[in-house]
Amino acid sequence: MSDVHVQLLDLACGAFLLTGVLILWRSELAKIVTLFALQGVALAALIAVLGAHEGSAELLAVAAGIGALRAGVLPSLLRRALAASGERRETKPIVNVAASLVAAAVLALLAYAVCQPVIRLAPTPATQAAPAAMTVIFLGFFVLATRRRALSQVVGFLLIDNGITAMAFLTAGGLSPVVEIGVSLDVLLAVLVLQVLTTRMRAAFGGTDLDELRELRD
Amino acid sequence: MNLLFPGALALCALASLLAALPPARMRSALAGTVLAGAGATALAAGVAAMTGRTWSAWLPDLLPLAGVRLELDALGGLFTAVTGGVTAAAAIYSIGYARHAPRTAQILVPLFAAALLLVPAAASVSTFLLLWELMAIASLLLVLADHRARPAVRSAGVWYAVLTHLGLVAILGGLAAFAAAAGGESFAELRRADVNEATAIGVFLATFAGFASKAGIVPLHVWLPRAHPEAPSHVSALMSAAMVNMGIYGIVRVGLDLLGGGPRWWWLVVLAAGALSALHGILQAAVASDLKRLLGHSTTENMGLVLIGVGAAGFFEASGERALAALALAAALLHVINHSAFKTLLFLAAGSVLHGTGTRDLDALGGLRERMPVTTAVFALGALCASALPPGNAFVSEWLMLQSLIRSLPDGGVSAAVVMPLAVAAVALTAGLSAATFVKALGTGFLARPRSAEAERAHEAPPSMLAGMALAGAACAALALGPTLVLPGVADVTGQVLPGRGPATDGAYLRAAASSLSPVLIAAALAVTAAALLAVLRALAMRRARRAARLWDCGAGPMTARMEYTATSFAEPLQRVFDDVLAPESDVEVTHVKESAYLVDRVRFQAAVPDRIEHRLYAPAIALADRLGRASRGLANGSVHRYVGYGFAAFAVTLIVLAVTG
Repeated sequence: MSDVHVQLLDLACGAFLLTGVLILWRSELAKIVTLFALQGVALAALIAVLGAHEGSAELLAVAAGIGALRAGVLPSLLRRALAASGERRETKPIVNVAASLVAAAVLALLAYAVCQPVIRLAPTPATQAAPAAMTVIFLGFFVLATRRRALSQVVGFLLIDNGITAMAFLTAGGLSPVVEIGVSLDVLLAVLVLQVLTTRMRAAFGGTDLDELRELRD
Repeated sequence: MNLLFPGALALCALASLLAALPPARMRSALAGTVLAGAGATALAAGVAAMTGRTWSAWLPDLLPLAGVRLELDALGGLFTAVTGGVTAAAAIYSIGYARHAPRTAQILVPLFAAALLLVPAAASVSTFLLLWELMAIASLLLVLADHRARPAVRSAGVWYAVLTHLGLVAILGGLAAFAAAAGGESFAELRRADVNEATAIGVFLATFAGFASKAGIVPLHVWLPRAHPEAPSHVSALMSAAMVNMGIYGIVRVGLDLLGGGPRWWWLVVLAAGALSALHGILQAAVASDLKRLLGHSTTENMGLVLIGVGAAGFFEASGERALAALALAAALLHVINHSAFKTLLFLAAGSVLHGTGTRDLDALGGLRERMPVTTAVFALGALCASALPPGNAFVSEWLMLQSLIRSLPDGGVSAAVVMPLAVAAVALTAGLSAATFVKALGTGFLARPRSAEAERAHEAPPSMLAGMALAGAACAALALGPTLVLPGVADVTGQVLPGRGPATDGAYLRAAASSLSPVLIAAALAVTAAALLAVLRALAMRRARRAARLWDCGAGPMTARMEYTATSFAEPLQRVFDDVLAPESDVEVTHVKESAYLVDRVRFQAAVPDRIEHRLYAPAIALADRLGRASRGLANGSVHRYVGYGFAAFAVTLIVLAVTG
């Protein structure tokens, strides 16, 4: 793999990871959606770099498709939901922003630790970037577990999915296009369903704080 | 090739269909008739297998991975024959009894019977476990058949479900470990395998616990006196006379046949559990006042007696006394047959009482002799058989068992010198108490005058129920008068089961012990004595002129039904004797008149004999499980974030563990 390719790959992975961490930092929901769109761009760039290196037109096409979905369609859906909700900020996350950033650092360390066996299997520049993808998976889980607004929850879920996609391309050269299309459609459908649920929640409870649902258990 | 067995199974399936499809008023008649045919066919198939015409099948495609392996050998044939006989009697009985039963229950009875027939024919671990579970599930659903009518049924169902599945887990663990150590799961491979001692001990103890829970052995018996009474009576008969036998079958099959004996202490454990169960069961039966519950406790007692025989057989085998082992095992298996015969009869008769009066409470019965003469007669026959007195059939098998225990004394070593006399004492005490128990059941339940309106309105059962009871009664009489008809077959089975195998069990003891009593002569002598006594009394009475006079009633006017002995009062002296063991609870509550503490307004008296083992062993365990369950509710407080956090933590911890160990 030539130097330029490695540099570009590392740049894309760096951007992918950085946008993930910044999502934890910002509390305006509109900015979070923008950062998520940027992460989609970084993911598409990452796949495109891999495709250009392998000279595979298929991978380039997948990169274009993923870019369109994750940097275009999903963010626009999220913006529409945001405009309808009238909620502007992530108020009172369960873990505050400073502590979240420290936790992100710890999670990144953890990701590097648990990815070592994977890297040892095939030490290429692509697999060496796998910990970044693993970190984004962890960050997605962290957002799910600590943010209150329904929109943040959707973003957390999509972060996990971005991380899994990146992991698949970095370690295994991607899945077959059929599987990739299926997964992408699933994600789209999940977001649509979550959007409907968010609307219903607001209609029923006047807000989308998930802890309002606490009384619904048995 | 013995085609009787698959024929019996096919008839069971047909009976199940006939219980499902035809119009409601014909169902019980059609299904009952066909199921009775299935039972008779299975009886014939079992007898054929006992005499050497075995049957086997290998169906590799029926179950994924393992396939189904069936083989009906002599031991399995004995249990299949017993189940077939019980099924035939219960099926004829059910034509009248289950006429208005829910359809689900009617469909399940033939399936339950088929599972019971198949369990002794299973010849691989996976097949056995599958059929065992099928049997457990079918019986559980049948226990729950009347859950709409009585809330007690549900609690009985929960007890049964929990204990039968704990038993299944123990059997599953034991047999899986056995199969893993043996390197194959068919019974033939297990038999050939040479497993190390620690594994063998683990397998034996685990399977013994599991099978003992099915046989209602103390301390795993608590489900039995709950579940058997709550099931419909023909199902009670199937459970109490056929299903509990499967526990004995499992112990004999795994302990003696597959594991090939083992050290002496295994069998001392079995013997001790049996003796404890026999005593505990009959003591609880002696103080019980619910007729079917009494019969359930009596089942625990009889299974305990069988285990005494099985334990003695294993003990003698391990000591090298092959002939004595054969005698003890033959006595145990004969007692299985005898118990099945009289317990079927008694449960069917109890069902007839329930059908005729609507109550099972012995304290509220009485006076059924005029109103239900046939039921009273067959119950009397069953009670005679169950109380181990000549000329009943239980007397024969218990006599053989005592013979085997006593004959070991001269040269048995220290442990035999200590254990066998204790076992003899346990058997003897059990026999005495069971006589008192069944005198109570017959005397307070059927004789004297009715003590309640329900008993007053009692009516005799329809002919099909009477025919079912008559069939069971005929089996009891045949077994009582002609045990030599079945003993050779049973002796053949013991010869094939005992680890030495072959014809080495020369049967000298068996012949000697069997010839030491002649049931026909005993019965004839009893009949002649009774007739002579009657004749003498009649002759004496004829010498003086007869005169009519009022009975002496202490001058208090005519005696009422409230002055009779009830079941509780009849058992009271026994309860006093065994006060320290039974620990009965009584509670007197005196309410005074408001104006004066010296005047009593009302006195309330409550007495109960709780099961001490249940009280001491199960109550703390249930309380602990309950506390844990309540505490664990704190983990789930309804917060979505917390649930996601659990998932996140589990994910991260799994990855860390993988990274550290990988």
